[in-house]
Amino acid sequence: MAKVILRPIGSRLEEALPSADYEANRERMGQLNTQLASRLEEVKAGWGPTYVERVHAKQKLTTWERVEALKDPGTRVFPVNTFCNYGLKFGDDERTSPSAGVVTAFAKVEGRWIIVIANDNTVASGSWWPRTPEKIERAQEMALRLRIPVVYLVDSSGLFLPEQATTFPGKTGAGHIFKMNALLSANHVPQIAGVMGDCIAGGGYMPLISDKVLMTEQAYMVIAGAALVKGAKSSKITSLDIGGPDIHVHVSNCADERVPDDATLIKKVRQEVARLPSTAADYYRFGADSAEPRFPATELDGLFPADYRVVYDVRQVIARLVDNSLFGEVFAHTGEEMVTGIGRIGGLYVGIIANNQQLNTHPREKGRARPGGILYQEGIAKISAFSRACNDDGIPILWLQDISGFDIGMEAEKEGLLGYGSNLIYTNSTNQVPMLTVLLRKASGAGYYAMSGMPYDPVVQLSTPITRQAVMEGRTLAIGAFNTKLDDNFQIVSKDPAERTKIEAGMKAVEDRITKDMDPYKAACQMDTDEIVAMHDLRAYLEVLVEACYQSIGYRRIKNPRIWSMHDLDVLSGK
Amino acid sequence: MFKKILIANRGEIALRVIRACREMGIQSVAVFSEADASSPHLDLADEKVCIGGPKSEESYLNMSALLQAAEQTEAKAIHPGYGFLSENALFAELCSQLKFTFIGPSPRVIRLMGDKATARKTMKAAGLPTIPGSEDVLANEEEALAYAKKIGFPVLLKATAGGGGKGIRICRDEPSLLTNYRQASLEALKAFGNPGLYMEKFIEGGRHIEFQFMADAFGNVCHLGERECSVQRNHQKLIEESPSCAVSPAQRHDIGEKVRAGVKAIGYVGAGTMEFLRDRDCNLYFMEVNTRLQVEHPVTEMVTGLDLVKEQIRVAANQALSFTQDQVRLSGHAIECRVNAEDPSLGFKPSPGLVERFEPPAEAKGVRVRVDSHVKGGYRIPVYYDSMICKLIVHGPDREAARKGMLDALSKFKVDGIKTTIPAHQIILQDKAFADGVYDTGTLAKMTF
Repeated sequence: MAKVILRPIGSRLEEALPSADYEANRERMGQLNTQLASRLEEVKAGWGPTYVERVHAKQKLTTWERVEALKDPGTRVFPVNTFCNYGLKFGDDERTSPSAGVVTAFAKVEGRWIIVIANDNTVASGSWWPRTPEKIERAQEMALRLRIPVVYLVDSSGLFLPEQATTFPGKTGAGHIFKMNALLSANHVPQIAGVMGDCIAGGGYMPLISDKVLMTEQAYMVIAGAALVKGAKSSKITSLDIGGPDIHVHVSNCADERVPDDATLIKKVRQEVARLPSTAADYYRFGADSAEPRFPATELDGLFPADYRVVYDVRQVIARLVDNSLFGEVFAHTGEEMVTGIGRIGGLYVGIIANNQQLNTHPREKGRARPGGILYQEGIAKISAFSRACNDDGIPILWLQDISGFDIGMEAEKEGLLGYGSNLIYTNSTNQVPMLTVLLRKASGAGYYAMSGMPYDPVVQLSTPITRQAVMEGRTLAIGAFNTKLDDNFQIVSKDPAERTKIEAGMKAVEDRITKDMDPYKAACQMDTDEIVAMHDLRAYLEVLVEACYQSIGYRRIKNPRIWSMHDLDVLSGK
Repeated sequence: MFKKILIANRGEIALRVIRACREMGIQSVAVFSEADASSPHLDLADEKVCIGGPKSEESYLNMSALLQAAEQTEAKAIHPGYGFLSENALFAELCSQLKFTFIGPSPRVIRLMGDKATARKTMKAAGLPTIPGSEDVLANEEEALAYAKKIGFPVLLKATAGGGGKGIRICRDEPSLLTNYRQASLEALKAFGNPGLYMEKFIEGGRHIEFQFMADAFGNVCHLGERECSVQRNHQKLIEESPSCAVSPAQRHDIGEKVRAGVKAIGYVGAGTMEFLRDRDCNLYFMEVNTRLQVEHPVTEMVTGLDLVKEQIRVAANQALSFTQDQVRLSGHAIECRVNAEDPSLGFKPSPGLVERFEPPAEAKGVRVRVDSHVKGGYRIPVYYDSMICKLIVHGPDREAARKGMLDALSKFKVDGIKTTIPAHQIILQDKAFADGVYDTGTLAKMTF
C-alpha cells in the first residue's frame, strides 16, 4: 500500500543514556553554547555603540533595526554566514569586519520566507570587505535555489578600497553580485530593493535589477560620488544632488518611489511582499500540522559525547528533530552504518540520511563487527538509491553528517568503493531537489563530499559548535606525514631518544595545527559552512529551511506521497 | 459512511459505541485484553480481537496492537471512547498516517488543548472568562511568588500537562507555595514528563459546570447546554446532572455562545466538553477542554434527545451536524449515578470480584430509566481497570421528579457478590444540600457513608 507510515522513534532521555553522561555532555555543550551566544552578540554589535549613534544621528535606523522592522511581529530572523571574516583584521589600521559588513538572513514577511541582504551601516558605512561579495552571492544563491523573494536593504559606500585587490577582479568578485541579480530575475525570483543611504559604485548597481526600487530622502545612487566629480566642491554639489531621489525617481527612472524615511520604506517593502503569491507550504503538508518532537529538541545538547571519538545513537538525534518523533525508515535491513528514512519537519516531508555511529555487523563475514560513521559498500548503495528516490519524488533531503570517511584497505578497493562513491557523487551532483546538510560532528574525507558537503552545493550547510571539518583528523594526518618513521602499529621505529623526541614533537605540531584548523569558527570565517547553530536550535533552523523548500510552486517537482518512487524501494527490499 | 469501526476501549463505553454502530448499519470491531476475554459485550460486536495482556500498557494503551487489529479487520475508523488513548495526539497522528479515521479532533487540537496553560491562554484570547492567574507556564519560584502576591492567596499550582485532578496543589501562604512549587514540579515531571506549572486563584466553594459541544468540519458549532458534576470524591465524579440549578437561562446562552466562539477559533471537529468553575458570585471561569466523549454524556443525551456517539461518527465521516443551535432544546432534567465496585463504608475502597447477581431497574416512578452497563450476573470484575460497572441515568420532567425517580430506581437495583456505591448515592440524593441544589465540590467530603 502506498501509505507513508511513520513510526515512533527514540526514547525518553533516561532510557537513551545514563543521566551522569547526559549531564556531563550538556555541561560541556553549555560552555560551547555560551561561547556561541556571546560571539553572535559580539558580531551583531557591529563596530559598537559609537557607530550606532552615528547612524541614529543621521535619522537612520541601524541595519538590525531595519531587519527587525521588516519581519513579521513575533517571528525570528535566521541569519546565515554570521561568522564570515570572524577574527580577521584588514588594512594598515587592522580593522575588523564583523559578519563581513552585511546581514544575510531568512526572515518571514507577510507569511512568506524571504532572504534579506542588508549592508551593515554600523560597520564602515556598509563597505564591501573581502568575502562580502561572496557572502551576498551565497545568500542570492539560496534564494535562487528555493525561488524565494530577495529584499535588499542597500546602504553601502562601496568597496573597502585598501583591500580592493581581493574583492574586485575574481570570479566571485563584487560584480558577480549583479550577475546573480540578473539570474534571479531571469528565474522569476522577485527582488525588491530599498535604497537607504549611500549607494556608491557597486552599491549603486546592486538595486537596479530589482523589480521595485524604493529610495529614502537621504539615499543616493551614484556610479561615483561627489568626491570624484571635478568641480563639485566649488559649486557645492553633493552626492545627494548627483544621484538622490530628485534625479533617480523623477529624471532617470532608476528608482520607482521616494519615501520620507527608513520606517516608511520598510512598510512599503512589506506591502510589496504581500502582493506576491502566498506560501504553498500548507498545501504540501497534505492535511498534517506541524508538531514538536515528542522528545524535546533541547535535549540534543546532552546527547553528544564530550569526546568526539565516543559513539551515540543517531536515531535519538532524529527523534529530537522530526515532528512527533515519527520516522519511516527505508532499507533498515541493510547498510546499518547509514540510517535513511522519511520524517516530517514542521508538517512537511523530508528525506533524512544520517550516519549511524554504532558498531554494526559485517554483512558477509559472520561475527565480525565494523565501526560506524564510515561509508561501506552497502551504506553507499543505500544512500545513493535513497537520494535518487527523494530527488525523484521531490522530497527535500536532509543530510546529517558525522562521517570519518570512506572505508579504506584491501577490502574497500576490491569492492570498488571508488566506483560506488563516484556513483553517489554523481547522484548528489545532479539532484534537483533542495538538499540541506548539517555537520553534526565529524565531516571528514571524501565522506564529507559524498554526503553533500559544501562543495556539492547544498542549499544551506549548517555546523554545530562541535563540528570538525577536515580531510582527516590531526592524528591520522600526522601518521601520514611521518609514515616513513613509523612501524605497522604506527609506533616510532627509531630507538635514538633524541630522534624519538624530535619525531614526537613534529607529529604533535602537525596534529595541533590540524585540530586548530578544524575549529568550526575558522570554517565559518572562510564560508566553508553557512552558519554555526547550537544543537538545541537545529530544529528551529530546519523548520524554516524546510518550509522555504516548499514555499514556491512551479519550479520543481513535488509528487504526492501516493505515487512516491520511495514505495518501490520498500517493495524491492521485501517490506 | 464507514463500513467498519474499531472501538479502542472496553466496558460500558465499548458497548455504547457498538450499539450506535449497529443502529447506523456499521460493522463494529471490539478489542479486549486477556483479562476481558469473557466480557459479555464482546459478543455484540461483529468481530473481536485480543490485543494483549491484562495491564493497560499491554493492551488498551498499546498503540501498535490496536493499529494492527484495525489493519487486520480492515476497519476504516477508530473510536477511542474515553480515557486510555482518547486524548493521545500521537495515537491520533498514527491513525491518520495509516489512513484510519480517528473519531475525535485533529492531533493539533488535542495537543493544543492537552497543554493546560496553552489551552487557557488560547481560550482567554477567544473571549472566554478565565480565573486570575499566570499568563503562561511559570518560569521559577520567584515568578510564582510574584503572581501569588498579585492575585492574592490562596492559589492553586497546576501541572500544565496534567488533567483529571492530578498534579494540583493548594497554597495558602508564601512558605507553602515555595515547598509546593518544588514538589509539584517534580511530581509533574515524573507523571507527565513535563515539569511546567501554572497558577490560578483558588476558588472556595466552587462548582464544576461543563458545557457539551459538537462541531463539524464545515465550521458549524453547537453547544448542548451544561452538566453539573460537583458531586466529586478526590476529583472523581460520582453524580452528574443536566441542566445545572446554578446556571440561569441567560447565563447558559451567554457562556454557550462563548463556548461556540472558542471552539470555532481553534478549528475543533467532533464532540468535546468545556469545563468551567463557578464561584459563589455565579461567575463561570474556563478550566479546560476535554477533547473526547465524557463518561457523563448520557445526561445531555436525555435532555436534548440527541445521540452524541452517532453524531461523532457522522462528523468524523465529514458529514455536517444534523442539527443547528436553534434546534437544540433542553427539556426536563436528567441525573446520572456512577455505580462503582467500591465500598463506601471503607473510604470507597475498590471491591472487585464475582458479581453474583446484577439486576438494574427497568423502570422507576415518574422517570425514564437508562442503564449503560456491560455487566451481567456471573461477571468477574478485573482488578486492572477502573471500578465503574454501570451508569444509571433517569430523566424526569423536573429536577425533583428526577431526584425522586433516581431514589426509586436505586432502591430497585439488585447487586450481590460485591460492594457498590449504590448506598452512597442514596445518602447523597437525600442530603438536604443536594436536594436543594446548593452543593459544591466540597460537599461530599463532609458526608459520612
